[in-house]
Amino acid sequence: MKLLALIKKEFHRFFHDPRLIITILLPGIMLYVIYSIVGTAINGEREPQNYKVYVDGSAEAAVAFVGAFVTETGDTVEWLPLEDGDAARAEVENGEADAVLIFSENFDETAQGATVRILYNGAEEKSSAFYTLAETALNMYGMRFAVVSESVKSAEEIGRNLFAGFLPFLIVTFIFSSCMGVTIESVAGEKERGTLSTILATSAPRYQISIGKVVPLSCIAAIGAASSFLGVVLSLPKVIGVSLGVFAGAMSFGGYALLFLLILSIVPLIIATITTVSAYAKTVKEATGYTSVIMILVMVVSLVGAFVGTMGDWVVCIPILNAVGAMGMLFEGKTVIWQSLVSVGLNIVYTALLVLLMTKMLSSERIMFGK
Amino acid sequence: MEEIVRAEGLKKTFTLSKKQQRIERTAETRRIAVDKLSFSAYRGEIYGLLGPNGAGKTTTLRMLSTLIRPDEGDAFLCGHSIMKEPQRVRDVIGFMTSELKLEGFFTPDYLFDFFGAMHGVEKATLAARKRELFSRFGIDKFSEVQVKNLSTGMLQKVSLVISIVHDPEVVIFDEPTNGLDVITAKVVTDFLEELRQMGKSIILSTHIFSLVEKLCDRVGIIIDGRMIAEGELKELCGELSLEDRFFNIYRSVKGDVQ
Repeated sequence: MKLLALIKKEFHRFFHDPRLIITILLPGIMLYVIYSIVGTAINGEREPQNYKVYVDGSAEAAVAFVGAFVTETGDTVEWLPLEDGDAARAEVENGEADAVLIFSENFDETAQGATVRILYNGAEEKSSAFYTLAETALNMYGMRFAVVSESVKSAEEIGRNLFAGFLPFLIVTFIFSSCMGVTIESVAGEKERGTLSTILATSAPRYQISIGKVVPLSCIAAIGAASSFLGVVLSLPKVIGVSLGVFAGAMSFGGYALLFLLILSIVPLIIATITTVSAYAKTVKEATGYTSVIMILVMVVSLVGAFVGTMGDWVVCIPILNAVGAMGMLFEGKTVIWQSLVSVGLNIVYTALLVLLMTKMLSSERIMFGK
Repeated sequence: MEEIVRAEGLKKTFTLSKKQQRIERTAETRRIAVDKLSFSAYRGEIYGLLGPNGAGKTTTLRMLSTLIRPDEGDAFLCGHSIMKEPQRVRDVIGFMTSELKLEGFFTPDYLFDFFGAMHGVEKATLAARKRELFSRFGIDKFSEVQVKNLSTGMLQKVSLVISIVHDPEVVIFDEPTNGLDVITAKVVTDFLEELRQMGKSIILSTHIFSLVEKLCDRVGIIIDGRMIAEGELKELCGELSLEDRFFNIYRSVKGDVQ
């Protein structure tokens, strides 16, 4: 009954304050609007392209997949068999052809160790556009292989697939921002205003007060994170230049379920972290300072997550990094069931430990009532 | 008389920060706020802790309400130890101090229900008690106004009724009439007398002599964290007024009043 009252109080505080609701939903709406405008600017005025691409190796299924993906954007591909490698390279260099795709032997039948080499011209806008589309399509192709790309001319290569590559980083960043907004105010704010002390003067057990903060704040932050996530996911296809259907179909139902679980495990972990830090801080200002440092740390860890594939299995023990790594692999179409489940499990354990620490802090006279 | 509160050798020390040491020009790192304080309060009486600022009154009340732990000693409220059963102690006391605030966003109606639930009060009992207390203090007209928009007097009344939402056996008030206008102060003091008639035990801290003379059955005079004198008001003062008796005691302990 006491725990329920504590949880309901946090929800009441949030859902009866229109300003708080707007604060938490606005980032998602803004992201959708901004990304949509960026996408329209990149792809909206573009003339349909016909790409001339040389192909080597027997990979009919993969080639058909890339072709279908490119067609979705309104462009077409003219596939040519590769006979003279040097001549094809020269054509890519002088802009007569757009790319050369070299698949390893028996690519479609190879379970592991298959490679795709993409030769393109980074200085040519059309060739770069094809490279972006081909790489995005190959990443979505449900098979384990390595993509090796080579540009025949060096150029500024800011691929549009950058957005897709950084999706785990974006997700974690959005989750953190949502968590930060609601938690600091609810914990450090209450402590600073003296309203937390009033609750501590009641007979509610300290552990219930901790859980009574972490659970509702996690739900509220999850709404904010979902808003930001939807904002990005709905607008990202516009940036890449494919339909939402093709983009959404890049991952299986199981993949989405794992992604959902991973997000679900990160939210309470971040909330518990900020709650603990906020309980320690004497003022909202101090809590914001500490949390900003943690946010930078989390952002760095999330960026490192992009390289997690080469870092070994031990990363599943590192909070946040484990989920980011698993999410990254999910977006690449890889099967990461055990990494995802272990990450989720460990994140729950870390959250429980932080709730325990928070409970200790609520009982600490020095922390709660120290001047 | 049934003993409801018993404090046994309560001691509390605080660490002085460098800044405090500088301000007070002292090298001592620890300050004794309460020094082996013992007293008892009985059912149906108002016990006043009287002393100057910094004497240790509020610290004593904070220990009794289990917000802070004594370094030494113990206290028993309705038989529950503040050291061993702090949660049970919190169930039998109502504590009101300016240190404990109410969230300005919520209404008195919501907060009464919330704190009722925090103390595990049944819904039907809570509703009846809300009707009675809100009507008694004139809060009913403001029950749906956010706390941040209430006047100081009304806020004090709301804090008072919320502190006793669970009908506690012991009511602990730190400076109950501080900052109140004369009308609200009268409402509060009348209610304290009513609580006494209902058989509740009330412990209050104050530095206002007239409040002690008007309300308290017994009084304990605290100076520098120590209980210097204690007893029934008449017994303690004799032919003197409380003010004169207090300053006689103060001079004997601290020398002349500066």
